[in-house]
Order: sequence, then C-alpha cells, then structure tokens
Amino acid sequence: MTAPIRIKGFTTEVLKWKPWLDTVNVDTATPAQLAALDEMSPQARTSPYFLVLAQLQRSIAFNAIMFAPGGMPRAERELGATVESRVNGCVYCASVHAQRFEQLAKRNDVISQVFEAPEGAGTTAREKAIVAFSIRLGAEPDKVSADDVRGLKEAGLTEQEILDLIHSVALFAWANRLMLNLGEPIFPEADAS
Amino acid sequence: MTSTPHDVIDAAIPLAPDHPLWALRRQRDKVVAATQGSYDAMFSPAVEGLSVSERLLVALHACRVSKADSLAPHYRDRLAAEGADGDVIAAVDAGQPVADARLRAVLAFTGKLIERPIEGDKAAVQSLAASGLSTPAIVAMSQLIAFLSYQIRVAAGLKALVAVEAAA
Repeated sequence: MTAPIRIKGFTTEVLKWKPWLDTVNVDTATPAQLAALDEMSPQARTSPYFLVLAQLQRSIAFNAIMFAPGGMPRAERELGATVESRVNGCVYCASVHAQRFEQLAKRNDVISQVFEAPEGAGTTAREKAIVAFSIRLGAEPDKVSADDVRGLKEAGLTEQEILDLIHSVALFAWANRLMLNLGEPIFPEADAS
Repeated sequence: MTSTPHDVIDAAIPLAPDHPLWALRRQRDKVVAATQGSYDAMFSPAVEGLSVSERLLVALHACRVSKADSLAPHYRDRLAAEGADGDVIAAVDAGQPVADARLRAVLAFTGKLIERPIEGDKAAVQSLAASGLSTPAIVAMSQLIAFLSYQIRVAAGLKALVAVEAAA
C-alpha cells in the first residue's frame, strides 16, 4: 500500500471514532464497531427500540446502495461518497471511503484532488462530471437541475448509474451528519495518549 | 395493480407506476424499501424524547431550509393530520421564531445540522442538553435530521431525472 494521503486535514489513514453521548456507546464494542454504528449496525443492546430499527434500515440502505451489483461501478459510488464527505467536512467518512475507492480502483490520484479542492477534481471527463454532480447534490440539492443530469449523460452515465450516484451522495449526506454530530474522529497519533 | 403501497418519495416527486423512472427506482428495490422503512422508523410513535409533532416540525423546517418544495407538503399534511397547532406550523413554514424555547432550540439545531453539518459539534449537542433535551431525544433528533438530509437529496435527484425525461 502506498503512503497515506494527508491534505487539508483529510487523510486516507485508518481513523477511529469516539461517540460523545452514552447512548451511542451501545456496547463495549471495538472502535471499529462503534464506527459501524453508522455503517453496519452492530447489535444495539441498550439502544431504544427505534434506534435498533433505524440502524437496521440504514444498514440495509447502505449495503444496497454501496454494494449492489450492476449499475455504477463500486469505485465511482465510493468517489461520490468521498466527495460528499469532503464537502461536509466529515474527515472520518472521507477517510473510510477514500480507502475503499483506492482498494477498488487501485489508484488514489483523484482522491488527492478531492481532498485538495473538490471543485474541478477528476482525472477524466466522466470523473469530473461525477464529482461536479456530487458537489451540487450535496451542497445545493435545491439547485440540482435537468442540466446537471444531462452533464452526467454526456459524460456517458446511464440513468441507472445516475440513480446509483444520487443514492450514494444522499446516503453520505445522512452518514456524515451522524458521524459529525454524535462523535469525533480519533487520529492514530492522538490515540497513543 | 389496483393499489400501490404508500411510498413518500414516489408521492412527493410524483412518480406513478407507469412512469419510466418508477421502474428505474425499482431496479434498486431494496433501497426503495429501506428508504421508506427508515422514514417509518423515524416517525414511529415509539420514539422516546420527541413527540411525533415535534419530529414533523423538524422535518418541515428541514424542508424549508433546504428549499425542498416537493417534500414540504407531505410534512405539512401530516402535521395537520396530527392536530399540531396551526400557528406553530405557520411560523415554522414561514421561518418565523416560535414561542416555545425547547422547540426553538430544536429548530435552531436542525437548521445548523442541515446547512452546516460541521457545526453540529459537541458544543451544539451540549447546548441542546442545556435546553432540557434528554439524551434519547438528542440522539433521536440527530438521527432524524441526518435521515432528512438523505431523503431531501434522493427527492432532488429524482426530480432532476424526471425533468430530463419530461423534456426528452
């Protein structure tokens, strides 16, 4: 594996995540499982029933959006997720999904660009269109228009791929807020203390 | 089929079963089901700490702040059906301050987390606790606002796809 990217407070290092509120600390799970509170619902032993239900549904949505076969290549779904996380300032999610992009695409050039400045990032016309759309939907959902969709179509995306991108960006509008709002990322160097 | 199960996103866009994008959405039927399932969980009467009306007001405020015109009517209708105070609904709808201090704190936090999620930090969470919200209420609200951010973007993206179809 190449050296981790560290740009503008964003990184491809493996981070941990620390919850702020007791209820979130639903079990004495590993930090990875706590992070999974967002992504892969662990058994929430002491959570209220609704939280268990909510986590289960979110976990189904997450798996269906990020891993379903066909449609948009998985690396590009991870790119959409990473861009949304970068735009929202979610260092934790950006790290996780930048790593997944790198694992799937076997490169991280576009990740450096996204961390540096998401606007205009992309190593191909298709990637630039995906990044531009992700920024728009993430930051200004009310301004997303037919022209934005046409931009994706001109770059070669099918409607199924566009739907997959909408889902992955929207999913991280959701996930970022949980991770930003209920806890904070822990960097490896700070972890030693 | 004679009746379709109620789906909030389809109703908001709107997407009828004979629309090509209705079928496109169903190619990701697990996403459709989990989106609706999450909605049902978020507005379940069983949620501790925040009443259904409070949660619907959060949703209406989130729609107003995000200019999510396709989803706002759904929450307006549900608030009316729930028997929520008409003056409070009108105030939230117009972005006017509400009298109740607890609801004011809830809506302020909603706006912050919708627009600038990075500001939904530890201090913001603690200020909610200072406004008298219990930990379960704060967690329920954070979950709800995060979900609304998703729902609003799914609707916005689908609306743009529909606009392209309509122009074609």
